[in-house]
Amino acid sequence: MNRDIIKKSCYALLLMSMLGLSGCALGTAVQPWEKETLARPEMTFEGDKLDNAFTEHIYSSKEGASGGAGVGGGGCGCN
Amino acid sequence: MGSISTTTSRVLGAAFATAALALPSLQFANAEAPPERGVVSFKYLHYQDSQEIAGQTVSNTNVINTVSGASSVAASGTSGSGGSQDRIGVDAYSVSALFPVAGKWSIGTTYTSDSVSGASPTYHSSGLTTMKDLRRAVDVQLTRYFSRGSVSFGTSYSKETDYISSGFSVQGSLLTENKNTTLTLGGSFNNDSINPVNQPAVDESKKVTSGLIGVTRVLTPQDIVQLNFGYSKGSGYYSDPYKLNDNRPRERNAVTALARWNHHFDDNGTDGTVHLSYRYYSDTFGIRANTLEAEYVQPLYKGWSVTPLLRLYTQSEADYYVSVGSAEKANPTKPTPPPVNAVYYSEDQRLSAYGSVTVGLKVSKQINKDWLADVKYEQYEQRAKWSWYGNGDKGLTPFKASSIQVGLSRQF
Repeated sequence: MNRDIIKKSCYALLLMSMLGLSGCALGTAVQPWEKETLARPEMTFEGDKLDNAFTEHIYSSKEGASGGAGVGGGGCGCN
Repeated sequence: MGSISTTTSRVLGAAFATAALALPSLQFANAEAPPERGVVSFKYLHYQDSQEIAGQTVSNTNVINTVSGASSVAASGTSGSGGSQDRIGVDAYSVSALFPVAGKWSIGTTYTSDSVSGASPTYHSSGLTTMKDLRRAVDVQLTRYFSRGSVSFGTSYSKETDYISSGFSVQGSLLTENKNTTLTLGGSFNNDSINPVNQPAVDESKKVTSGLIGVTRVLTPQDIVQLNFGYSKGSGYYSDPYKLNDNRPRERNAVTALARWNHHFDDNGTDGTVHLSYRYYSDTFGIRANTLEAEYVQPLYKGWSVTPLLRLYTQSEADYYVSVGSAEKANPTKPTPPPVNAVYYSEDQRLSAYGSVTVGLKVSKQINKDWLADVKYEQYEQRAKWSWYGNGDKGLTPFKASSIQVGLSRQF
């Protein structure tokens, strides 16, 4: 089982480096004056916090898996 | 320019597809600068689940009641004759506020009240027992911003009749000089105490420590990606005291890998944004899960915007999950006994192998520069035969849920 976890983690690391490399391969760093679009709320990963909290809470009480995006938040007796 | 962006999306597309990866969730992302304005938000949630009763022969007089004598657990075995209308329903609301303080700090807090009532199975999809509880939770976060990063401290507290959870967390982020790459490190500790109302002698606890490392990277003026790796280590009481035949290991460690990609369509004129994410999850219960999410935000005129979403999820069963046996299959009022000599066992359908699909739609309206309103509807279904892991328990019946959220927020 542990071996499986390690194997999967390796795949994930591989992906991480691939994404990183694909970023580097673009060569040109995005300049501050090009970040107007990136500043739009829908381009952030934070999103609608209350929506995310409700949604995450529902899934963690109905499914085996949970977490992944951040740390913190309260536990509950619902799972 | 056109060819550059085409190449870019091809590279990204290839990276994404090759790895076939990426999924969802919440909180902290790349809040590197203090908020310019304060914001107060309110959200209401109504949730209702439903499930066919296992077998066609069961009527509401056959319901087994294993939970009894509880002040907050109404010990009556009244399941609805249709098996649907009396299942778990939730009415919840949250209020949150986030304010900048002295230019370099922000403080945020959220209060949630969560009222749950209805019937849920005591084993597999059967043995419905009703419950009712109220959960209240509060969390506070304090963040200090620096020129190239931030540090956040958080604390949370949640209370139900039979369950109290308290926790704290620390998260730091560091940006590169051009602010295109962010490294995030976080850790949290939760200490829960559990006193089941049906088993007053049980005075249990659970402690969970977790850590997270993540990289967020701006790839182009229209693309941003994030990769997070999480680990959590938990020990204590993981069994469900309201289920029959339930004895789970006292340790649960989990790893997660989450990849997210946001892309904005500038060039073709839709002005829309797509969010893609994939999460891989694996724990020492033996559960492996894959979650794939896609949503598309389409701004319309006059501040309106619509966001359709699709979520696909699949998990394998826990090592100690006990499937519906042949006797129970013939008569769902006869629970399957755990295997002889089994140390750990559970007949909780959430630990079985299944797949699920969520479709949803969110509509929001920016009323003016201060006010934002939104409504979101989601429909969810879980089926054993949708598991990618192939060993779904055929004795379980499909599980469905729907939810609606209504939100309002105002900036100051």
